[in-house]
Amino acid sequence: MSSPAGVIHDIGYQRYEGERLGRGDVFLALYTQSLRTVFGLGRNFKAKIFPWLIVGVVTIVGIVMMAIRAQTGEVVMKYAELPQFLSTLMVLFVAIAAPELVSRDLHSGVLPLYFSRPLRPADYALAKLAALVTGIVLVWGGGQILIFLGAAFSVKGFGNVMNELADAGLGIIYTALYAVVFASIAILVASLLKRRAVAAAAIVGVFLVTVPIVGVLYTVPSETSHQLAQIVNPATMVGGVGDWLFESANEIEEGGIGPFGPLYALVTLGVIALCVTLMIGRYRKVSQS
Amino acid sequence: MSTVAWITTRGLLGRRRFLLLLPLPVLMVAVALIPRLSGASPEEWVQEVIVAMGFTTLLPVVALIVGTGVLGAEIDDGTITHILSKPIPRWRIVVPKLLVAIGVTAATAAVPFYIVGAIASGPRLGLGIVVGSTVGAVIYSTIFVALSLVSRRPVLLGLVYVIVWEGLLSNLVSGTRVLSVQQYALTIADKASASPLLNNNVSLPVAVVMSIVVTVVFLVVAIRKLGSFSVTGETS
Repeated sequence: MSSPAGVIHDIGYQRYEGERLGRGDVFLALYTQSLRTVFGLGRNFKAKIFPWLIVGVVTIVGIVMMAIRAQTGEVVMKYAELPQFLSTLMVLFVAIAAPELVSRDLHSGVLPLYFSRPLRPADYALAKLAALVTGIVLVWGGGQILIFLGAAFSVKGFGNVMNELADAGLGIIYTALYAVVFASIAILVASLLKRRAVAAAAIVGVFLVTVPIVGVLYTVPSETSHQLAQIVNPATMVGGVGDWLFESANEIEEGGIGPFGPLYALVTLGVIALCVTLMIGRYRKVSQS
Repeated sequence: MSTVAWITTRGLLGRRRFLLLLPLPVLMVAVALIPRLSGASPEEWVQEVIVAMGFTTLLPVVALIVGTGVLGAEIDDGTITHILSKPIPRWRIVVPKLLVAIGVTAATAAVPFYIVGAIASGPRLGLGIVVGSTVGAVIYSTIFVALSLVSRRPVLLGLVYVIVWEGLLSNLVSGTRVLSVQQYALTIADKASASPLLNNNVSLPVAVVMSIVVTVVFLVVAIRKLGSFSVTGETS
């Protein structure tokens, strides 16, 4: 038995002599490509239907609000209330986008190719997460900007326009909080499932099944349980943080969060931290197998 | 039990993915125990647990995962050609697969539904809502099996239908209730249990007739679609 004596022939292909880009550039490239994937850009028509359907609905809602504000001057909805009002759509949006972002790569087994580059597992996870967060902020923040445009042309005086601008800015930052919570939960669930279809159903299941629990906790005859009920569901949890941040303390409403505002904020941060940690851990494991 | 049904059952239950179906029923029973132990009266929480959690979320989501799994999974990875190339009439492929989907969905839903109903008021309510959930399982499964033959993205389409049509519209807009599977199932559950805890929004004859019509229509659609089915490559 002779050992295989292979020779690599130089058949004259041109070599790449240029500069090799590092980890940061790989991250950036993955991020931009992922952001395009969220909206189905660079893919066929079928991949665009669902994301743009949701973009359409959010835009229509924004235009209606803008028109009402411009015509009657009535404030239908504060900027910060838009994401919670459309949170069901946000669930659908992440259920459509997250499997497209991460389940595909698992299904087709291309992750070893990614990790043979300077890219680290955490970079991959964070680039996907950042892309989904950006996608959500673009859509829902865009809706808030539409409402702002309606307001800016209907209020009198430069100072009032600046006030509106500040409110809208805060609203968009608040949308970003929604986006981070929704995206990190969705990407975590999707990163555990190879099949896009199953991942989409699982994401919707995670978000929807917690809605009735909030209602159930309201039936428990205890004031504390009412005030803590909203913490169970991601959408109402961030809504509770919003109540704590934007509503003054003397506006104590029935079924509000009471004195637990800081706890809501803490749990929200905890959920984000937990999801991101688990996600990175998941990709560490994938990269080693 | 036909071979097709046997293969489908094994494909459905033999995978790790099947474990995804377990958390929902367990959670439903656990949630029903919270108000029960804290002493809230059933009138207050039955609506949330049985209707919002059971009929609006658990039943359609389980039916969606199972219903699109029996045929959609095979279409997705292309192994459907193995069955299609056998000399079996197409309806004898669709019907056993549909029956398996109905059976698995109904069984997954029946256990927590019965327990929650029994916790709320007794075995009569438990049996009543199991009847309702079984009717719902039949209709939903037929719709989702047909959907997995009509579209290449059946789960997303099904999710939009479950969330927007069944979840939002049929609870907010009264006009769409006549065309809502959830309302048929609820009405039948209400009549079967004769319990004051549930209330129905459509009349019983409408619910029964529409249930049969919807099931038959989607079954015919599924059989016809598989009859003219052509295998194409992976899209998008």
